[in-house]
Amino acid sequence: MTPLIQLTGITKTLKGQSEPRTILAGVDLTVHSGESVAILGRSGSGKSTLLSLIGLFDRPDGGQYLLGDRDITKLSERRSAALRSAEFGFVFQRFFLLKHLTAAQNVAMALVNGQGWRSRRKRKALVLAALEQVGIGHLAKHKPPRLSGGEQQRVAIARALVREPRILLADEPTGALDTETGNLVVDVLRAATERGCGLILVTHDRDHADKMGRVLRLNDGLLAPAPQRVPA
Amino acid sequence: MSGRLRSALIIGGQGIRARKLRTFLSMISLFLGVLAVVIVQAGSEIVQRASIADIELQSGKDGTHQMYVGGQDPGALTTALDTVRDRPDAVALSSGKAVIGEPNVTPINPGGSSFDNLGSRPGRVDVICDQTGCYPDPSSQGAPKPNGKAIELRLNAMTGDVRQFKPYRQESGQWLDFASAPSLAPRIVLNKKAAVGFARYQVPAQLHIDGGTSDPTPQIVGVVDDGSYQPEAYVRVDELTNWLPAGGLGSSRGSSLQVLMSPGAADLEQTLRARLVAAGMKAEQININVVQSKQRIESQLALMRWIFLGMAALVLLIGVAGILNVGLATVGERVEEFALRRAVGTPRMLLAGIVLAETLLTGLITAAAAIGASALALRAAPTLAGGRGASYFQDLTFPWQAGVAGVIAGLVAGLLGGAIPAIRAARIPIATVMRA
Repeated sequence: MTPLIQLTGITKTLKGQSEPRTILAGVDLTVHSGESVAILGRSGSGKSTLLSLIGLFDRPDGGQYLLGDRDITKLSERRSAALRSAEFGFVFQRFFLLKHLTAAQNVAMALVNGQGWRSRRKRKALVLAALEQVGIGHLAKHKPPRLSGGEQQRVAIARALVREPRILLADEPTGALDTETGNLVVDVLRAATERGCGLILVTHDRDHADKMGRVLRLNDGLLAPAPQRVPA
Repeated sequence: MSGRLRSALIIGGQGIRARKLRTFLSMISLFLGVLAVVIVQAGSEIVQRASIADIELQSGKDGTHQMYVGGQDPGALTTALDTVRDRPDAVALSSGKAVIGEPNVTPINPGGSSFDNLGSRPGRVDVICDQTGCYPDPSSQGAPKPNGKAIELRLNAMTGDVRQFKPYRQESGQWLDFASAPSLAPRIVLNKKAAVGFARYQVPAQLHIDGGTSDPTPQIVGVVDDGSYQPEAYVRVDELTNWLPAGGLGSSRGSSLQVLMSPGAADLEQTLRARLVAAGMKAEQININVVQSKQRIESQLALMRWIFLGMAALVLLIGVAGILNVGLATVGERVEEFALRRAVGTPRMLLAGIVLAETLLTGLITAAAAIGASALALRAAPTLAGGRGASYFQDLTFPWQAGVAGVIAGLVAGLLGGAIPAIRAARIPIATVMRA
């Protein structure tokens, strides 16, 4: 079966004011449909950089990136934007909800992005379905300040899911939540994979990582399977 | 409408609603600039419209050929009238002094002066006014006349409808009917200045024309605005000649003959000139010119308009600076929002479009407010001005050109004020959401 995404020998060096720093030194990663992968690593190990390359926020310096059987290593900005819209869903540590918009309008943001046009009725149906999917359909008209942290993150997940992406990228989505709410959010993300969506979760929380199908650790710019936890 | 344009308008509208106060404040600074542009444009249009309307009444429409025949040669007048008669593309006007009212008295307005500024009647002496000015009638010197109930005016006898060349505005009643048989009692149409006299003073209906065989009873059938500042009246030439001896028309001192011709009547112009010369008139007494008043006035006003528009543009520039300032501050505040929008697939161009849509909508709303305020002010002007000022504003309508100028000013201000913030918004890196 063709993998959903396949990264081979991906490298990335950050060129700041001081010495250039190699963040990724040849990362290999393959994710299939419906598969969930957790990536662990110390702060500054390059987890978010890797996620930004996978999400086409940035380009790698070397290596190859295949989406299905299509090479997307060096795409133009315009094509990258179109692919981000069509293929990827993003969930961030901070929810990035716009306070002046309702939950439904925040979710609709992913539909009103200049990548194809849907009628107001169609948008409304898709938005409500996405909110129902994460269990907060009844909060569609609420604005973010009236929602709890967990509810806000679920709105953000609904925004990521509304275009029915093939890959969901989550960058420490539970970092700003308590353990119980964090578990709930991870369960919602996991549920998305049951419909064939690939999930890559970057997290510091080993408990959340263990809920994924595979757990990897990024260390010294290389990705390797994380060691098994010793049962307490 | 394309999806991107719709998206930009929807998101731009959301942005404006989210920052109502800020939008309102930037609108205030822009409002004055757009208002200045609208007022300058409206003012110049109104002045131009009024000037052209008056100039057309007085001088005729652009392109009209005017032939002035000097001297008081009855033969020349007869030749001109015979040549022009029955020509639809030309009209001959013979103008001269006439008095309506009691005979052999000093009229209420000696010399046919305006009723707006009547002084005491000067010395009971007949006064003649023509193109060269007013002077005592030599024939009446030494024969003082008592003051009486009579109105002096300038009587214009026409071979056809002069309104095809001078679009007189009908004020009341009707214009002369040139299609019907001539009436024995001359039908006359007064101008507004003459109508003032007849409304103010009661005078007998007796028309005295210099050289006339007797005084007919005129029928006043209407009033027109002919742009003249002196009392005048218009009459069919064939109705007047019943009361004049052969060659009597145009023989009095101060009378003049004018022939108005359409641009296509070149043959008539040549024929008339040849016949007049053959009738004994000197060629230098015949003057022909082509009316170009509208063009002249427009070029003069255009210069003034550009000067004032330049000043208005400076005020508009302050509004642009206000939008730019607010736009830069807003983009600075919305870095995360724009980065997030890029993350969910919004192209850079659309981000720039969103910012521009906000500033353009702001400019457009401001323009609508400025245009509305100007139109309301113009409508309220008669009430506010009161008295004589009210009549000036009475018939004014808001010129559509000023509305267009306001919309353009608003859009240009929105474009200029929004360009730099839009570029900044498009350059916000997506990684902002990852680093946050």
